[in-house]
Amino acid sequence: MPKQHHLMLEVVERVDPADLVTERSRDTRAAFLKKTVGAGGAIVVGGVLIGGLPALVTAAPGAAQDVEILNFALLLEYLEAEFYTQAEASGALDGEALEFATTVGAHERAHVEFLEGALGDKANPKPTFDFKGTVEDQDMFLQTAVVLEDTGVAAYNGQGARLTKETLVSAASVVSVEARHAAWVRDIVGESPAPKAFDDLKSKEEIEAAVGETGFITS
Amino acid sequence: MTNKLTLLDVDRDGAIEETFARINRETDRSGFLKRAGILAGGIMGGGAVLGALARPAGAATATDVAIANFALTLEYLEAEFYTQAEASGALSGKLATFVQVVGEHERVHVDALKKMLGSAAVAKPTFDFKGTTDEEGAFSETAQLLEDTGVAAYAGQAPRVETDAILNAALAIHTVEARHASWIRHINGNPPAPEAFDKAMSMDAILTAVQGTGFITSKPSMTGSGDPSFTG
Repeated sequence: MPKQHHLMLEVVERVDPADLVTERSRDTRAAFLKKTVGAGGAIVVGGVLIGGLPALVTAAPGAAQDVEILNFALLLEYLEAEFYTQAEASGALDGEALEFATTVGAHERAHVEFLEGALGDKANPKPTFDFKGTVEDQDMFLQTAVVLEDTGVAAYNGQGARLTKETLVSAASVVSVEARHAAWVRDIVGESPAPKAFDDLKSKEEIEAAVGETGFITS
Repeated sequence: MTNKLTLLDVDRDGAIEETFARINRETDRSGFLKRAGILAGGIMGGGAVLGALARPAGAATATDVAIANFALTLEYLEAEFYTQAEASGALSGKLATFVQVVGEHERVHVDALKKMLGSAAVAKPTFDFKGTTDEEGAFSETAQLLEDTGVAAYAGQAPRVETDAILNAALAIHTVEARHASWIRHINGNPPAPEAFDKAMSMDAILTAVQGTGFITSKPSMTGSGDPSFTG
């Protein structure tokens, strides 16, 4: 299992060698920015509630970074879209679970198309998936959907400040739809639709670790 | 007639207009600060982002203050709406749970924004919800409209925020508003996520929508003056 987990992360984290130089210089820059933020951040942020949000490393937004982030978003959208498409096709769902899969599946497929269009020839190809039976059982489907949607919200939120403002306009119109999905499926399973006053912002690494643990991505 | 959120019910005493005029003045001022920031960044060789971060400790941009005050005004409205609705005793079952949870979130958002803005925070206006807090049908319809509007407002402003810490706070609130919207839509029997892409609305468009409700009845005044410092 740990071996498989490692494999998953490698798949998820696949980096184009051409990006490595940029990646490295970005790290250096990020470290510098972090220090700069360290001096002023506490004062700017002030309150405990806002201060409690994770301090995400922010490198200067730019076109190359947008491509990296949009491909990260595309991977998550591929995952969600395929999950709902398979669940709908399995015939295991009925009632509101089926309605949810149908509606949300269409949204995720629209998000995939949108991101593929935005990335053009820079779009990463769709991986293959194994949902380990979660698309063939209604309860497992719903529980998994809660996790995927909450994860999607935290993933987009975590990347917001790393995007150029232009791309953030688009991301903002997608992330709130993910949040609507999350609240909807939470209400279906009897969990609080809005469990906190502030949603999580998770780093790419945190999301990749969470996705890796599912073992859903197989190629 | 109670909650008809048409645009006919105008902001007669200009209360909302005053708030937004103030916000717009501050936004105009930001042009100067923005240029100053870019200039500073250029000198340091790091571009606009470094310029923003290199500002004197505690200084927020005027644009961010204007946006935060805009958000605070909307959060005051929502928080007061839910607080009054909860106190009215008119809500039961799922709506009672909704008003309790969401009301608490909005009050937390108000506190956080006030803390962020410090002396630059706009004061809480007074409200008249025209009976929409005293009746389940009117309440749930109004809550849906307020939450959908809140989602569009944050989506419209997030890309304008200049300071990362403030942007992260706005993002964390934005999706909670979307969860609220989805939740109340589900309770109301409406599609929780009606479209694949939510729409964003400009400050002006939100102003028109809020004016249409006639819910804000007093001229809000600023609690302080001078340079905003986000001292929390």
